[in-house]
Amino acid sequence: MIKITNLQKFYRTEEVETVALNDLNIHVQEGEFVAVMGPSGCGKSTLLNIIGLLDDLDEGSYVFNNVEVAKFNERKRSDLRKHNIGFVFQSFNLIDELTVFENVELPLIYTNVPAAERKKRVEEVLEKVQIMHRRNHFPQQLSGGQQQRVAVARAVVNNPKLILADEPTGNLDSSNGNEVMNLLTELNEAGTTIVMVTHSEHDAKFSDRVIRMLDGQVIMETTTV
Amino acid sequence: MNTENIKTAWRRLKNNKFYTAVNVLGLAVSLAAAMLIILWVQDERSFDKFHHDHERIYKVSSHLVGDGTKNVWLGSPSPVANLARENTNVEIASRITYDGNATLRNDSTHLKVSNMRILHADEEFFSLFNFPLRSGQVNTLFQQPKNAFLTQSTAIKLYGDENVIGEIFHFDDEQFTVVGIIEDFPQNSSIKANVILPLSYYAQRFTEYGGNGNWKTIDEDLGNYGFYTYMKLSPTASSSDVTNFVNSAFLKARNGAHFVDFSLDRLEDLHLISADGNKSALHVVQVFSIIAILLLAIGAINYVNLSTARSMESAKGIGIRKVIGASKKQLFFLFSTETVVIFFTAILLAVALVFLCVPAYNEISGKSLSFALGNMQVWLFISTAIVVTLLLAAIYPALQLSSFHAISALKGQLGNHFSNQTLRKALVVFQFSISITLIISTLIIGKQLQYIREINLGYDREHVFTVPLPYEAVQHIDAIHQELASVSAIQSTSLSEFYNLMDYGNATGDIEWSGKPASSNIIVARARIDEKFIPLMGLEFVEGNNLSGLPADSAAFVVNEELVKQMGLQAPYVGTEMSLHNIPGKIIGVLKNFNFKSLKEEVSPIVLWTHAYSSTLYVKTSANKTEEAIAAVAKVYEKYPSDYVFKYNFLDSQFDDLYKSDNRTGLLFNIFSGIAIFISVLGLFALTTYAAQIRIKEIGIRKVLGADVLGIVHLLSKDFILLVLIAITIACPVAWYLMNEWLSSFSYRTSISISLFVSGGVIAVLLAYVTIGLRAMQAALANPVNSLRDE
Repeated sequence: MIKITNLQKFYRTEEVETVALNDLNIHVQEGEFVAVMGPSGCGKSTLLNIIGLLDDLDEGSYVFNNVEVAKFNERKRSDLRKHNIGFVFQSFNLIDELTVFENVELPLIYTNVPAAERKKRVEEVLEKVQIMHRRNHFPQQLSGGQQQRVAVARAVVNNPKLILADEPTGNLDSSNGNEVMNLLTELNEAGTTIVMVTHSEHDAKFSDRVIRMLDGQVIMETTTV
Repeated sequence: MNTENIKTAWRRLKNNKFYTAVNVLGLAVSLAAAMLIILWVQDERSFDKFHHDHERIYKVSSHLVGDGTKNVWLGSPSPVANLARENTNVEIASRITYDGNATLRNDSTHLKVSNMRILHADEEFFSLFNFPLRSGQVNTLFQQPKNAFLTQSTAIKLYGDENVIGEIFHFDDEQFTVVGIIEDFPQNSSIKANVILPLSYYAQRFTEYGGNGNWKTIDEDLGNYGFYTYMKLSPTASSSDVTNFVNSAFLKARNGAHFVDFSLDRLEDLHLISADGNKSALHVVQVFSIIAILLLAIGAINYVNLSTARSMESAKGIGIRKVIGASKKQLFFLFSTETVVIFFTAILLAVALVFLCVPAYNEISGKSLSFALGNMQVWLFISTAIVVTLLLAAIYPALQLSSFHAISALKGQLGNHFSNQTLRKALVVFQFSISITLIISTLIIGKQLQYIREINLGYDREHVFTVPLPYEAVQHIDAIHQELASVSAIQSTSLSEFYNLMDYGNATGDIEWSGKPASSNIIVARARIDEKFIPLMGLEFVEGNNLSGLPADSAAFVVNEELVKQMGLQAPYVGTEMSLHNIPGKIIGVLKNFNFKSLKEEVSPIVLWTHAYSSTLYVKTSANKTEEAIAAVAKVYEKYPSDYVFKYNFLDSQFDDLYKSDNRTGLLFNIFSGIAIFISVLGLFALTTYAAQIRIKEIGIRKVLGADVLGIVHLLSKDFILLVLIAITIACPVAWYLMNEWLSSFSYRTSISISLFVSGGVIAVLLAYVTIGLRAMQAALANPVNSLRDE
């Protein structure tokens, strides 16, 4: 599903050029659950952003579902993103002005799903993450674990092929963290490909494969199964 | 704009009550103030435009030919209308004249109504102008010289009803029949009266009273400029051709004696540009229009500044939406919706404010304005303003917000928004430049108005009141003087021709002296006085003496310095022989110049003499005794019954009346400057709040490291204070230029001193410092642990 070859990514300021990702190669099969680990600043999040088409690469190739997307413009990326990729962030990133229901509904609005269909799908997914009873609450009224469940619901409501999770349990206590990991595992078992960046060895055990990075390069890959 | 967007916008606004309030309040107040100004400007521009073909209606003014002195009379001789009718380009010509201060008496109830203005109209009047009748027929007015039209409100005053056709009233010792009722003259009409009589009555009376010298009918009288001549020209006519035609016809009628040049001015222009070319009224309208635009700009700037400043807060939401798949267009509409919601609320509030303020505004502006929701001009102006504001306020931040990078946005980074900051600073400078210009202008206008109030007019106007006496009383003036002399509250009394000592327009060119150059054409004011007038008013002599009260006075003239200067005499002046209206005499005294006209004009020449009839009683009383004095005069007045009612007028209030419009302009200016300053300060307050908010962590760290409250206040204020200082340097020359222009309409004007600019600057800095300081103090006093824990 994802095939990245010879990826180079630089960050430039006026005086220095920092290499964020250096000649990096990654393959992710459809249906895989991959964890990306490494110390702070090793380039994990940059990689995730590039996979999610939120950031562009400077050199190399990125084939997503057999299509070369490295040179896509913003509109095409946005299009591809909203139909294929769901995101889960460490800090949940829910919109404060929208209720739980509206937050989850948002991706469906952006993909022009009719209102009746939206309602059905949002309710389905809220049931699935067991937050239906809080559908009319605002994010600030929820606990961290509940907020992350909403974020996961929002990420999957469009039935994306790929979920990118950036330290999804980073702001949660262990029981809430486990709940979220179980949710991701369920999704993966249902066929969704997952790429997750994490610092937690415990969370990494939920994945099929762990990619370890250092200074912008992959240094080791291990299979956990 | 869909409901989703409106809902989100509404919640965002609700969650940020402070900024929403600042935005809505600032916009609403500036919109309301601008709307009120537009109403005023609209009214000023609407004068005499309600007549059909108003753009083709002209009025004749007379420019007296003098040696270098400009003297414009608003009237023209009665035959001018007849002369004009000879020209084929003149479709209609009409002449009117007025009787001011008339008293009407109801024939059956004997009720008297005074202060009435009588308009004597010729038969063309109603075909030229649109003054609609409520009842009666136009032609009936002209069937009998003693027929009359009353305005609706005059009818109600005199009869308590407007169905009064056939009723009789008395005026001028004659009996008139009401044959029609007309609508009250619109407030924006330069032609106004309470009663309309046919000109034939005036003409008949003129002839009965012996005419004017050799001219025995009004159609012959080429020497009386008390008529107002109006004409409608054909659509293709050139007004200068008609002017030339009238001028040469008049020159021919006067056998080649060139006294006067007429001009034709469009009637609708005359309210703002007077016949002598004075455009000060127009300038006031222009200045107020500009202030309206500036107020809108100031309100819009608050909006732009706050929305760009707060774009960082919006950044996260935008980032998320972008990640989820929102397009630029969708984001743009989302954020525009917020602006639309704010503007919509602000407009509603502004309309409410306008309705609320109109009564007080009318009181202040002396107008009777009303705001109709269907007033398209106001909406056109407002919607133009809103579109411009939206372009500036909504599209700029919305575009900027929707186009930045999603990842940076998620991290709360907006990258290097140098331009954004610079724009905001430039706008604050612009806003404060306007406010400071207005502050300085307000100070200068105030100083000028005070200067006028306190200027030495050359006489003592305190505790002096005037009473116009009817003929019946004037005949017994000696007895009146004698009786009033015994009243302790009255210091002195005098009878003179000065109906208004501060705005006296009775003048002539009919003055001769030996050695008068052939080219000289002095226009000299003339007023009859008695020997008590000069001491009563405290006028000062530079040479010679007062009148004596003896028969010798009939050959004596008291003149002012300006006259002897214009006559080209050398001191000593006393003894110089001269004649006025062919009545010979000698100068017996020269007075120091005093102001008998508006301070907008230089002192002009004047002759005081005793010859014949005058009718205004001057009474000098003292503080605390005015009521007693008025009562005593009223008692004497009633001894000589006439058709007139007792009326008095203090010179102080005459003086205030004369500068009423200037004082009103000054007051309006104060109010609108106040509003501009309020909105600017509101914006500054919000910006400081915002600055304190985003620097809260920095403030916390500094406090932990040992910064004191004052240091923090200084940290937060120094950037803003610098902007205010820049604004001061911009505002000073602008204010100086504008105020110089305004002052130039006064002949007597205060100086523009440096101290006014310093005060203006200090006021601005203080306002800014207090505003910023309050907020900064709050931020500085906060517990640093709270702000640091926030992260």
